[in-house]
Amino acid sequence: MTIPFLELLTLENIQALGWIVAQVLTITLPLFLAVAYLTFAERKIIGAMQLRIGPNMVGPKGLGQPIADAVKLMFKEIIIPSGASKIPFIIAPVMVMVPALMAWAVIPFDKGLVLADINLGVLYLLAVSSIGIYGVLIAGWASNSKYPFLGAVRSGAQMISYEVSMGLTVMTVILLSGSMNLTAIVEAQQGMWYMVPLFPMFIVFLISILAETNRAPFDLPEGEAELVAGFHAEYSSMPFALFFLGEYANMILMSGITAVLFMGGWLPPISTPLFDAVPGFFWFSLKVAFVLFVFLWARATLPRFRYDQLMRLGWKVFLPFTLLWLIIVAASMHIFGLVGA
Amino acid sequence: MSDDNQITLTINDQKVVVDKGTSIIEAAKQSGIEVPHFCYHKRLSTPANCRMCLVEIKGAPKAMPSCYTMVGQDMEVYTNSELAQNSQKGVMELMLINHPLDCPICDQAGECDLQDMAVSYGSDRTHFKEEKRAVPDKNLGPLIRTVMTRCIHCTRCIRFATEVAGVPEMCATGRGENMQVGTYVEKALESELSGNMIDLCPVGALCSKPYAFTARPWELEHTDSVDVMDGIGSNIRIFHRGGKVMRIDPVECEDINEEWISDTARFSYDGLNRSRLTTPLRRKGKSLEACGWPQAFDAIKKAAGKASKPDAIAGLAGDMFSAEDLYSFNAFMKTTLKTDNVDARTDGSTMTGKHRCKYVFNSGIKGIDKADFILIVGANPRLEAPVLNARIRKNVLSKRLQVAVVGAPCDLTYPTMHSENTAIILDQIASGEHPFAKQLEDAKNPMIIVGAAATLARKDAPQIMYRLYTIADQYRVVNKDWHGFNVLQQKPGRIAALDLAVYPEEKGKDTAGILKALADKKIELLVLYGESDIPPESLKGAKTTIFIGSHLSPYAEVADIILPAAAYTEKTALWMNTEGRAQESKKAVAPPMQAKEDWKIFRALSAEIADPLPFDTQSQLRALIVKRAPVFENLNTFVPPKWESFGLAGHILDNAFEQPVRSFYKTNEIMRASQVMTECQDLADARADVNAKQRKVG
Amino acid sequence: MKLWHIIRQFFLLDMIQGFSVTLKNLFKPKFTMNYPLEKTLTSPRFRGEHALRRYPNGEERCIACKLCEAVCPAQAITIEAEAREDGSRRTTRYDIDMVKCIYCGLCEEACPVDAIVEGPNFEFATDDRSKLIYDKDKLLQNGEDFEIRIAERLQKDAPYR
Repeated sequence: MTIPFLELLTLENIQALGWIVAQVLTITLPLFLAVAYLTFAERKIIGAMQLRIGPNMVGPKGLGQPIADAVKLMFKEIIIPSGASKIPFIIAPVMVMVPALMAWAVIPFDKGLVLADINLGVLYLLAVSSIGIYGVLIAGWASNSKYPFLGAVRSGAQMISYEVSMGLTVMTVILLSGSMNLTAIVEAQQGMWYMVPLFPMFIVFLISILAETNRAPFDLPEGEAELVAGFHAEYSSMPFALFFLGEYANMILMSGITAVLFMGGWLPPISTPLFDAVPGFFWFSLKVAFVLFVFLWARATLPRFRYDQLMRLGWKVFLPFTLLWLIIVAASMHIFGLVGA
Repeated sequence: MSDDNQITLTINDQKVVVDKGTSIIEAAKQSGIEVPHFCYHKRLSTPANCRMCLVEIKGAPKAMPSCYTMVGQDMEVYTNSELAQNSQKGVMELMLINHPLDCPICDQAGECDLQDMAVSYGSDRTHFKEEKRAVPDKNLGPLIRTVMTRCIHCTRCIRFATEVAGVPEMCATGRGENMQVGTYVEKALESELSGNMIDLCPVGALCSKPYAFTARPWELEHTDSVDVMDGIGSNIRIFHRGGKVMRIDPVECEDINEEWISDTARFSYDGLNRSRLTTPLRRKGKSLEACGWPQAFDAIKKAAGKASKPDAIAGLAGDMFSAEDLYSFNAFMKTTLKTDNVDARTDGSTMTGKHRCKYVFNSGIKGIDKADFILIVGANPRLEAPVLNARIRKNVLSKRLQVAVVGAPCDLTYPTMHSENTAIILDQIASGEHPFAKQLEDAKNPMIIVGAAATLARKDAPQIMYRLYTIADQYRVVNKDWHGFNVLQQKPGRIAALDLAVYPEEKGKDTAGILKALADKKIELLVLYGESDIPPESLKGAKTTIFIGSHLSPYAEVADIILPAAAYTEKTALWMNTEGRAQESKKAVAPPMQAKEDWKIFRALSAEIADPLPFDTQSQLRALIVKRAPVFENLNTFVPPKWESFGLAGHILDNAFEQPVRSFYKTNEIMRASQVMTECQDLADARADVNAKQRKVG
Repeated sequence: MKLWHIIRQFFLLDMIQGFSVTLKNLFKPKFTMNYPLEKTLTSPRFRGEHALRRYPNGEERCIACKLCEAVCPAQAITIEAEAREDGSRRTTRYDIDMVKCIYCGLCEEACPVDAIVEGPNFEFATDDRSKLIYDKDKLLQNGEDFEIRIAERLQKDAPYR
């Protein structure tokens, strides 16, 4: 009896696999840590903006708080509602979490420091980041409960609406850079970050990723006032933690994408010898941190949108505006002969 | 006005017509105008010493006390003019000079005249800066607690003791600031009515000792009811809180108790919470043990089933029962157990309910006010009915009513003529030989009061009754407008028992017969309903003895099954007082724990043993009672019965009348259970001892 | 005006304004009390946990006048009284149902001898409701525990009574 594919189990293949696993772990483990401390930063920053001080009791300055929260969540009971569809119910949080991690494969942290430097990076990002919504929909459906269901429906509608304008803004970037390879896009911003010429698109993109990640002021799918907790109302313990991790991992991912597409990725703000000496990873992190801060800042500042306002903004403002801007960008490039540059 | 006896005057410009000789304060009251007062009380003399009731009379040089000033034709009185108001305010300030500000610890607070008046008529500040005085408290016995610093010298208590209670022991010593109200010699008051001083006291100087500090007037609920500590059925108000009787006060009832009640009525309530039966008990060997109602009923059913013939069953009822209780007991014995051996006349009396006029107070208690000569036969109204005695005393003092006594020597608090203590005297009166005969002859409204306890339980009672009937006939004691032949019943349930025929009606045994059968071991099932005068030793001998009652009594010794019943505060019931007036007591609190209302016990028991008695509700029971004795139909109305001949001709025994009440504070099981009453009785006994010794020395 | 309105909307001026407010707040000093470690000042009239006080000689002040019981709008107070052996008027039972209590302070106002007071303590949460039905012992113990602070507070408030 032969075991299929046994011949693939060669030493080189195992080594290659191990290398890939090691690479994935070097990305995901710090990412988890970052997610944990993003929650902490969120509580601290929003607290400060509301003139509070936020968590400060666990560990020095409250730094142990995310760990304590994680431990707490892990030791809680996993409750599966008797009416729920069991398997989709358990799979759903995984389906939210995994795409948020998968997308990191194409994000360049520094020049050449990328897991998979593929030519269609942008397309890959758009595709993978759209998978997460399935998790949300499945979660809402599998819970067999009205609030999660409503939350999931809202989430789906919201994602579709804002992915359109998001896609169009990305299109302008692609137009300018002439490439879908993320490394190439970053390098195309050597002279000037795209957020300067494409400033309105940058703003639209920022707002769209807020909507895309279900963050305030677009957190209607989990609006606690009207939907209890939206699609994850029935979740507890680790499944809930996965949704939680997924949301924050998505935030970091979207920040990373913003940094790459509009803020010059690992490039320093100004090319001076001093700045060039600093590793690009540092600049990249700084930019991601800034965008994350904007996420939190928006949450501390803005009240939640009404659903019709959300839809109006997506379809009646962003869509025509980005379309118009796309035409303007394309036209100006044609006029100034920048096509294919 | 048209009538010579009517006077027209104006009070506060309001026209008022009143009888001649009315005081201004009464006239004002009649027309709905309140005049503040402390010392004035309509049933006491008027000293006009508090000066609170000062009013302005047009033409008078200064404000006049309205309690002492009689109305005059066309008088113009102002109770709220500036002069009157200033007078009241000034008097109030003087009144408060020495009154301590201890309302928070005063039991009177909340129902205090001084508080009310101070709020309504007083000023909110005083000119008095000097030191207040303090007065040592007096010991007035176990019933009255004194805080004499609070006294405002209205002298109501002194006047009550002297005028109503007839024990001139209270006095005011010293003058001015040194005046103190107290007793001449420090001792407990020798009065059966002393508790009324507590009501009279307008401040908290005299308070109830047993009630001290236990409750506040505003947290008490109250239920109007009827007292059953003696036979006259004084109207009372039961104050209770949380299912516990906290206090009993009189209710004004001109026909019966005016506004007094005896100390036994007022202070015996602690007996309602002591040595109560709270659960059915069953005998196991020598001891009694608690069981449920079904077990107790089962045991009774078995005992009733075992009885060989109805004649081997007997029942005795006590004296503390209402019409409902007695009717249901009677029906239970006679219908369910089918025996005629039933008797409620446990003192050995053989009187039946045939002629109503021979066992009720025919003239009504109010009739005493009309009488001008009273012949008391074998009664001691001071102990048998203290409130009634106070009414006699009132008339002795105010109208020179003459009182003659044939019976055991007694001090009735007013001058009386005593004959030798023997029943033969009645023969002499009937034949006109005795000096009382002359007085009966001369009197316009002569009255005879026969004490039921000392007279009717005698062997020669029918003969005595016959003699009394002839005396009454002979001396016009009963005529067209006057019915002066009265029987004074001390026992609250006796008249109802006679009206409802709770005695053998056919060939059954009466009390004497039952006791004899018991001694001969011929009784198999004995039902004892409540305590009576029969000593428990002579109740031994039945195979099964059932005791139904509210209190754990000596009868528990002989009982095999004990059922807990309700006391008088725990049931809505009809009571027949000595006048034959039906009154209703209201349920103030629930019977303790498993105890039940009596008629419900008999109704339930009858259903267990045979066919249920024909009533399911109290109103059905009432209807049956009224059918049996129509006098129960009209509550609170006094219907004098028809005058008929009664008694048996024959010789009267030459026996002395016994003292009707031996222990005034211990006449029934509630009082026997009461600690306060025990203290009073001990004191009374000690006093009797001292008096006996003094008499010997003298 | 309409133009200005459009401009304001288009250039997100309102948004910028709002974001600047939160940004400024980020650097402002914070109001938070680090509660179990630091506490806010309470007024002398603060109405916290009840206490029954004693006189300096150890005699309990309460004279069972029941005015607090009468005035209590939540009917949280239950008092039973009788004469003590020395003849003085004292409570045999003084219960406050702290769950019923609405902390209005009327009992304190009604008390003629400053016996029942609402003390400075507000940290009396428990894990069992039955522990919130305070009896006389507990209230007297409170009085002992907080007497110094209670007396100080009463003195401070006295001129305004």
